[in-house]
Amino acid sequence: MVNFGNLSLVFAFIFSLASMALLLTGLMKNDRRFLESGRRSLYGLALFATLASIALGYLFVTDNFQVEYVASYSDRALPMFYKVTAFWAGQKGSLLFWAWVLSIFTAIVVRNTRTELNSRNTPYIYLVLATTLSFFLLLLTSVSNPFELLGFVPRDGQGLNPMLQNPGMIFHPPTLFLGYIGFTVPFAYAISAMVVGRLDETWLRKTRRWNVLSWVFLTIGIILGGQWAYVELGWGGYWAWDPVENASFIPWLIATAFIHTAIIQERRNIMKVWNMVLIVLTFVFCLFGTYLVRSGVLQSVHDFGATGLGGYFLVFMTVVLFGGIYLIAESYNDLRSKHTLESYLSRESTFLFNNVLFLAIAFSTLFGTIFPLISEAVTGNKLTVSQPFFNQVNTPLFLILLLLTGICPLIGWRKASADNLKKNFLVPALASLAGAVLLFMGGVREFYPLTAFSLSIFVAVTIFNEFRGGTIARSKLTGEPVFTAFPRLLYKMRRRYGGYIVHLGLVVIVIGITGSSAYKLETQGTLYKGESIRIGSYELRYDDFRGYRDRNRDIYAATLSVFKDGKPAGTISPERRYYVNAEKPTTEVSLRTTLIEDLYVTMPEIGPNREITLKVTVNPLLIWIWIGGTMMVIGGIMAILPNRKKKGAYDEIH
Amino acid sequence: MKKSVKKTMVAVILIVAGVGFLIYKGVSETGVYYLTVSEVTGADPETFTDRGIRVSGKVVDGTVEYNQRELLLTFTIKDMADDARTMKVVYTGVVPDAFKPDVEVILEGSYERETNTFHAKTLLAKCPSKYSKEENGEKE
Repeated sequence: MVNFGNLSLVFAFIFSLASMALLLTGLMKNDRRFLESGRRSLYGLALFATLASIALGYLFVTDNFQVEYVASYSDRALPMFYKVTAFWAGQKGSLLFWAWVLSIFTAIVVRNTRTELNSRNTPYIYLVLATTLSFFLLLLTSVSNPFELLGFVPRDGQGLNPMLQNPGMIFHPPTLFLGYIGFTVPFAYAISAMVVGRLDETWLRKTRRWNVLSWVFLTIGIILGGQWAYVELGWGGYWAWDPVENASFIPWLIATAFIHTAIIQERRNIMKVWNMVLIVLTFVFCLFGTYLVRSGVLQSVHDFGATGLGGYFLVFMTVVLFGGIYLIAESYNDLRSKHTLESYLSRESTFLFNNVLFLAIAFSTLFGTIFPLISEAVTGNKLTVSQPFFNQVNTPLFLILLLLTGICPLIGWRKASADNLKKNFLVPALASLAGAVLLFMGGVREFYPLTAFSLSIFVAVTIFNEFRGGTIARSKLTGEPVFTAFPRLLYKMRRRYGGYIVHLGLVVIVIGITGSSAYKLETQGTLYKGESIRIGSYELRYDDFRGYRDRNRDIYAATLSVFKDGKPAGTISPERRYYVNAEKPTTEVSLRTTLIEDLYVTMPEIGPNREITLKVTVNPLLIWIWIGGTMMVIGGIMAILPNRKKKGAYDEIH
Repeated sequence: MKKSVKKTMVAVILIVAGVGFLIYKGVSETGVYYLTVSEVTGADPETFTDRGIRVSGKVVDGTVEYNQRELLLTFTIKDMADDARTMKVVYTGVVPDAFKPDVEVILEGSYERETNTFHAKTLLAKCPSKYSKEENGEKE
């Protein structure tokens, strides 16, 4: 099976190189037969990449520890489920996963464009995809081969890092990767459009689903990552502005900006240069995200350590970045729009401002991430920044962005009139003001929470207005009762209302983040049996302690009775786990979640007399982050549901 | 250039300038010094006092004392490169899982020169990843 896997990889690599060579020859000789063969080679590539992946999965499932990668990330005691997911636990497997998924995506593109080979840009799309695949397959067949042998057969593997033995960990890396990889497709379309000079919005139309779907995957990946950090790392939060978290957040920000201005280009045929810049940047930062984890240049909880791959990624990223810049500069004159903004008070301009803000946040996040690297060289100062920097800089930017989310649908395309503004703004502004006053009287006095909550109300009301107005209009038009008109409206205009649901999800997330960061309570202490610890309206009493063996780990668990406002409110049971193959124990969080707040308990220490050290956190409104995230994902998927009608059905433009 | 475009450009420039200012302010208000043990103990008494200090060093074996009831941890760290340069560390709070003698720790807090003691507000222990070691030796 090892040979089979190796051979499959080599074949996949050969097919990718062959495809590149055939496509290039076909383009130079202008010979369709070469192009056709180059196109078909990509199917072969996908086949062999799939076989290689199956081989690696098989080696994990059958405990083949002579393979270095399998021995490093699995052992006999590991549950079957995690054996399969250990596939992408390390860097070699995750690279194979990258190549495999990209090969499948490529095959899908190849199939969807099978009738379009005559179109001049299609071969270039294939060429970009084949080149990217060749890069990954080059790494996989040389410096990062997952089928490399140890030279001996160890009795057992080293096991999977216990922190990765968590359900969130199964979907977090692959969804993030699906997002990263997905943006390769629009990137390929953009490059091909520039190479052949077909600079209209066709490439955007054709890749809209890829964009939004990749964005959805990136969103899922980031949210699952936060959730995993929250329940597994045990420090009481979900986001630490860790370099690798930032590395996934930066492409998300740029991609979000891109999705917004893509709409403008489709509608108004402006911002063409801008969109090219954004898609190139998105792809570069998707690679950057993959790179950062492997480079070892920054200290992070996710780091794979210095893997020696950083240099290769750096070269590839540089090629992509400068190639992209070169092409944009070359086609700059053709890309320049004949139309311009007609008014600074228009929906287009709010999109432009939202873009500037998204990029500003992306930039400040990037700046803070690499600041430790550049600070000494540039400033001669041994300065570094961490969490407080990101919070201080990004919070006001996010709040302005939130405000724009509310303003945008209130402002018409092209040029908004004063009347139109007054009419649309009045109700949401009043609602937001009333909410602010109520919150202030209720004790929310700090500037940021008060602003965040009242802006949330503002945005939510504008979105509800959109839903209400649309439903009433439809109901009048069709004669349907309101409760059938509403879902039909959502379905008919799903691209638009999907977008609003994403925005509503954002509002819900903002509420969750504000509550859990501004009103977080924390305490810690050591208890003997029978003693209690207090936090906010909670009291926790240490009742019981037990230890037992469970599969590949020893578990020590304390049981505590929870009292809220003096009334019994169930029990909570934090654990410490000692995995057979791990050097240090892990902390298992015990959570009591309600819609209002999370009670979050960890037990970082157990003393010789079974006295336990507890760390207790109360995170108000935190669950709304996950709820809002889910809404964002649902909205995003809704916006790209296929039309039942056949092609050409662009009847429901935003 | 059209008036509307001009106005928009002015607004964009204002935003960009605002962001630049926010970043500048962010660095100067939240930045901390990142130093080695030698740099902290050997510095002029006047330097590195205007903002927080982050320092990394190695935990000296046999110096760790922990009062679990009080959550009071004291130990000595030495410079990563120079064993002779050491300072005492006092930290109140929960001890990270990866903390143990000879491990590299990253502290943030302030330094008291008279007693050669570092008062740490945060304590991070770097886990000696079993993977990265062999990966390191692999190739470059």
